[in-house]
Amino acid sequence: MTRYVMVMDQRRCIGCQSCSVACRTWNDLPMDIVYNPVVTEGVKGEWPHVHVNYTPLICMHCEKAPCTLCCPTGASQKDDDGTVWIDYKKCMGCKVCVQACPYGARDTSEMSPRLERYARKCTFCRDRRQMNPEAKPYCVDTCHQKARIFGDLDDPESEVSRIIGSVETVRLMEDFGTEPQIYYIPALGGQR
Amino acid sequence: MNKHYWTWPIAIYLFLGGLGGGILSFALVFDILVPGSGEIFAMPVFIALVCLGLGCFFLVFELGQPTVFLRVFLTATAIIKWGAILLSVALIFGFVYWVSCLPWDFVAFLIPLRGICLALAGICGALVMVYTGVLLASLKAHAFWSTPALPVLFTVSALSTGSALCALALGMWPFDPATFNNAAGLIVSLHEKELIYEALHLIDMVLIGVELLVLLMYVLLLRGSGNAVARAVATRWVSGKVAPAFWGGMVIAGLLLPLALYSGGGEAAAAVAPVLVLAGGCLLRFLVVFADDRRKVPGEDRFYRRLPHHDAEFLTAWKNKEHLY
Repeated sequence: MTRYVMVMDQRRCIGCQSCSVACRTWNDLPMDIVYNPVVTEGVKGEWPHVHVNYTPLICMHCEKAPCTLCCPTGASQKDDDGTVWIDYKKCMGCKVCVQACPYGARDTSEMSPRLERYARKCTFCRDRRQMNPEAKPYCVDTCHQKARIFGDLDDPESEVSRIIGSVETVRLMEDFGTEPQIYYIPALGGQR
Repeated sequence: MNKHYWTWPIAIYLFLGGLGGGILSFALVFDILVPGSGEIFAMPVFIALVCLGLGCFFLVFELGQPTVFLRVFLTATAIIKWGAILLSVALIFGFVYWVSCLPWDFVAFLIPLRGICLALAGICGALVMVYTGVLLASLKAHAFWSTPALPVLFTVSALSTGSALCALALGMWPFDPATFNNAAGLIVSLHEKELIYEALHLIDMVLIGVELLVLLMYVLLLRGSGNAVARAVATRWVSGKVAPAFWGGMVIAGLLLPLALYSGGGEAAAAVAPVLVLAGGCLLRFLVVFADDRRKVPGEDRFYRRLPHHDAEFLTAWKNKEHLY
């Protein structure tokens, strides 16, 4: 089985928003939607011990995705490889999945035409990977700091498996019980 | 980002769905308690059908791609799918029941079906009331919604608004006391109608009391909740921006005033109090639907605050496709 996950190395992220721009380019997003914002926390601490924390947000492709459970038309679905995606032709735009997502990863555009107001979200560049199975999501290819690592967690030899097995990682809002599949290496962490 | 994805159409839909469901349930309950009295509820049932129909209209109107709507009946086990099915069943059987109450000969063949139709419509109506609360309560991303008490609050409010509207429209056309026979074969007396009328007022008073209790418990207990988001919303209701609407509109005008009017008695009070109850129920749905705060990752608010919004000049230009050569 394949289980795609992403590791965000916050030690390396410099908050340049290249991933946001790349995503917007590849997916041709309307102006009012961002799939993967990089949010900034801080400046924290007192001089000279200061730091800024950059958190790249993205769809968490949860194991128990609340957005697929609540979808009344079967448009929101989960692939065997763990990708959560939306079939736009089946989506009626009721926005219940937008409300169900604890991470705010889904959005509908107010700028798209009346009959194209379906919910949209990150799909780990599903279309890109379908064209070329070796391809990675565009945000991963773009990240010049190598802060994003994408791979198959079920493959013990993959880079993500080795990182998650050897370095301290955290996941966002685990208390919702959705089992998010994005692992963060905290900016001031990374030890085990 | 305080973007409201669900706005007034959903609030009105939740209100109308609850109201219609409440009326249908009362029609069924009184038909069981006072056999044959269901026909007095012909006008309330008609209003319930209009409410449910309008609610469905607002629901579909609000959709991004309304043409895909019919897929709801084909797939999935989602809560919205059950809501759609319950609404449809209540609408169809409620309509057949109402047609059978019409004083025309060519619909007389429906009269034997009346009982089963009202039973199905009433049960589905009761489930629709609960569904409006369960829909919001199942969205665990929103701390103020995802409490077990929200379906209770919505159901009590739906019953209260339902009985208020029943009291307003009881015994109107097409009910005709001169030709009406109840199940026991006795001519129903206007006295019986008066009894049901009084009973509805009494029930509404009790329901208003219960709703007051549930609402205050809900908001005040969430104000001391361990969840920061729920606490923030409850504080906004109790002492913040929403406080005038909550205390003035909801608690005083929507609950306490009708309670006082009902207990005072009199013709004018009996006409005004139900209207206040209905307005209060509608306001409650608006307040709850707009309380859709989600827990934020640190820094998320700042990111979205800095993005351009509707009125930004270049966004408008983009929308009007002025950026294309």
